[in-house]
Order: sequence, then C-alpha cells, then structure tokens
Amino acid sequence: MIPSLPGDPGSTDILTIANLPILWILAVGVFAAIILQTVLYVRAARIAAPAAGISSAELKTSFRAGAVAAIGPSLAVVLVSVALLSLFGTPAVLVRVGLVGSAATETASASIAAATMGAALGDASYTQSVFAVAFMAMSLSGAMWMIATLVLTPLLRRGDSRLRSVNPALMAIIPAAALLGAFASLGIGELGKTPVHILTVLTSAAVMGMCLFIAHRFNVAWLREWGLGFSIVIGLFVAYTLHTTGLTPGA
Amino acid sequence: MSSTTVISTPSAVLATFDRTTSRWGRLTMIAALVMSLAAPLYLVLFADLGITQTQVWIAFLAVAAVFSVLWVVEPITYYPILGPAAMYQAFMIGNIANKLLPSALVAQAAIGAKAGTKRGEFSALMAICGAAMVHVFFMLVFVGLLGSWLVTIVPADVTDVARLYIFPSIIGGVIVQLVVSLKQPRVTLIAIGTAGFVFFVLVPAIPAIANLATGITVVTTAVLAWFLRRKPRSDSTKEIS
Repeated sequence: MIPSLPGDPGSTDILTIANLPILWILAVGVFAAIILQTVLYVRAARIAAPAAGISSAELKTSFRAGAVAAIGPSLAVVLVSVALLSLFGTPAVLVRVGLVGSAATETASASIAAATMGAALGDASYTQSVFAVAFMAMSLSGAMWMIATLVLTPLLRRGDSRLRSVNPALMAIIPAAALLGAFASLGIGELGKTPVHILTVLTSAAVMGMCLFIAHRFNVAWLREWGLGFSIVIGLFVAYTLHTTGLTPGA
Repeated sequence: MSSTTVISTPSAVLATFDRTTSRWGRLTMIAALVMSLAAPLYLVLFADLGITQTQVWIAFLAVAAVFSVLWVVEPITYYPILGPAAMYQAFMIGNIANKLLPSALVAQAAIGAKAGTKRGEFSALMAICGAAMVHVFFMLVFVGLLGSWLVTIVPADVTDVARLYIFPSIIGGVIVQLVVSLKQPRVTLIAIGTAGFVFFVLVPAIPAIANLATGITVVTTAVLAWFLRRKPRSDSTKEIS
C-alpha cells in the first residue's frame, strides 16, 4: 500500500518530503547495522582475546576509553547536525552527516549537486527536486567510499604494503591537493555572493584559526574537536546580526 | 591463567577472528550501503518530483569530479592504521580523523598497547566499538529525537538565517582546519590561486562552465601541485635522498 505522496517539484518546503516515514525507517536501519556490527565485533574480540595477548579487562578498558574519547567529537557533530536539519531534514542528516560522511564533505557535495541544477542551498531556488537530487548525489558519493572500502580491503590485506608503495610521492600530494582545491573553490564561490556571505566565511575562518591557535599554544586538545562547532555557531551569529540589520537587500 | 590445554592454537583462533570480522563487517556494511541509497532513490523514483535520470547523473558526475580521488585514496591511507576489521567499521561510521582515530589512540595508550601489534589492533577495535556506541546514542537522542524539537523552539528568522548562511559558516572553518592540518603551504597557495583564477577570470569569461568550476579547480590544482612539487635536487628522475 503506497500512501499518497506529498511531492511537489517546485515547492521549497523541503521538510515535508525530507521527513517521510520511509526515510526514517531506512535511517534507523543504518543505525541498526552499526549496532549489530559492534555487537558481533565485541563478541569476536572476546573469543580471540587470549590469542592476541590481551586480557578481557583490557578489552573493557579499551572500549570505555574509546567511548569517553568520543563524547566531545560526537557532541560537536550533534551541534553541526542540528544546524543542518532545516536544510536536509532529520533522516538525511542522521545518515549523511552523523554517519558515513561528515558535515564538510556532505554539505560540499550537496552544494555542488545543487549548482548543477542552477540552485543554491537554502535559498528560493532550493526546491524539493533540488533537495532530492542533492540527497541522491551525496548518497551515491558516500556509497562510493563504502564500495571502495569493500573492494580494496581484501586486496590490501593480500598486497598490503605493495599497493601503497606504487608511488608514495603521488599519494602524498594528490589527496591533499584535491581537498584543498575543492574547499578553496567552494570558499571563493561563497565570497562571490553577498557581503554577509563574505563576512560569515571570514568569521568562521577566524574563529577556527583562533581555536586551533589556542589549542596548540596552551595545549587544549578538546578545543581542536570543538573548533568547527564554534566556527559554525559564531559564524551564524554574525550572519544573523548582519542579516537582520539589513546589510542584504531582501532575501 | 594457565596455558595448559588450549583447544586450538592461537594462530587458528586469530584466523577465525579475521574470518568472522571480515564476513560480518562486510555484510553489515553492505546492509548500510543499500539502506543509505534506498532513501534518496525512493524520493527520486516515487515522490513525483519530476526528476530525470540525466539530472541525477550530472549532479553525481559533478560531485565525483571533486571526490572520486578520495573514494580510493582514503581507504588506502587508513588501512595501515586501522587494519582490515576496523576498516568496515570506520567507513560506515564516518568521522574517522576527528573521532575514531583519536579514540583508538587513547585506548592503546590506556592499556599500553603499541600500534601495529595484535594487542594494539584489538584495543583499537574495541575503542572504535565504544566510540561507535557513544556516537549512535548521541545522534539518535539529540538529533533523531530532540533535533526537530530543538529546531522548532528556535524563532523562524533564526532558522532562515541558519539555512541561508550555514554553508559559508562551515566552509570558512573547514578551510582553516584543512590548511593547518595538512601543512602543505605550497599546495595551499596553488589551490587558492587556481580557485581565484577560475572564479574571477575563467567563469566570467565563459559563463557556461560555472557549474563545473569546482571540478576544474580540483583537477587543475592536483596537476599543478604534482608538477610544481618540491623535488629533491635531481630534476624529474627517481629521487635518491
């Protein structure tokens, strides 16, 4: 039984289709897969622990240490996710930003995909159709990461160091260049919009710079994880102040 | 603590562990992969949004132009650190560099296990399991359950501003973080120069390529970074340092 679908290609009411029950079910399914994997891994590790020269107390300590270390970064991801809810809806944010990808790659993908339809995230051109295409494109991109992992892991297990030593210099430069090129391009793209966009980018960059400087100078490790959260919140605060004081015409 | 009558040898036990984690790691990852694709596919096919296949392919190719290198390179880069079992966790849970790796390092330090040893591998695996559970819990509670409520108690104009300016407020911070963590000043300058050229010279001259700007920048930056890299003395032959 297929319920009547609320789709309306031209509507900018993203959340109507972004929060469809089936999307929630699939998102919860992805979480279930992760929980199942964790349970199976922990059980396998318990059985094999003596052979690996590790005690069950040490396994427990490792689990707890990993869990505690993840609290800060997880809360930071939560903060970013909540800020993105109005753009992608809860199920998509849970799966794309919370898992598999990250706020940076997923918003970048969505923005690139939207641009191919002549639209930009969050403004009047961001319709239900644009959202669906952007969601599809970022999910396909995320799937490629998983497919590469599924294909490469067994190969690497066999070849191990051979694959990596093909060309170490190339491997050191190309990934960094691709990342820097992508984000430099997206950043400069934002500078070409309104003065509010420019000041928002600069504020976010400055806050991150300050966080990293303080983290490094005074050895405050947690600040490194929270840097992006702070950049986003303070960046949005500045955008809000400028926007409501009428620096941009209309919008 | 006696090591008298062990049913199977340690290496046989470890081989079983490898088989179990590989099989279930792959199966759970494939399940997540299928479900994560089913969601947008459902919207594209059944939500009556008039989306054509061509639109999806163009959008995907534009994203691929930027990220396809990373699809392949990241798994290869993280493999030596994570080991086979944790690979299937890491690339499903995501947030590898900012959460999973720090968790693994903290756990190994806590029990005094060295990376690269079996003890280290098991410690990292358990740490990632712990990190995964914390992350799943926080996401489900604060984003899944409370997220839409958190958004509704926020006034409408704040949500509007968040929607309009979320991208610029992410991108600024991400760029600084990237530049600082990669520590590649030469490539950074090449990237900024290329992006500036593409946006302020190339696109205004040929407006038709506007949608491809990021892809063009990525490819050009990669090529320039490779040819303008600092070479150890000898010109372009194999280096002997």
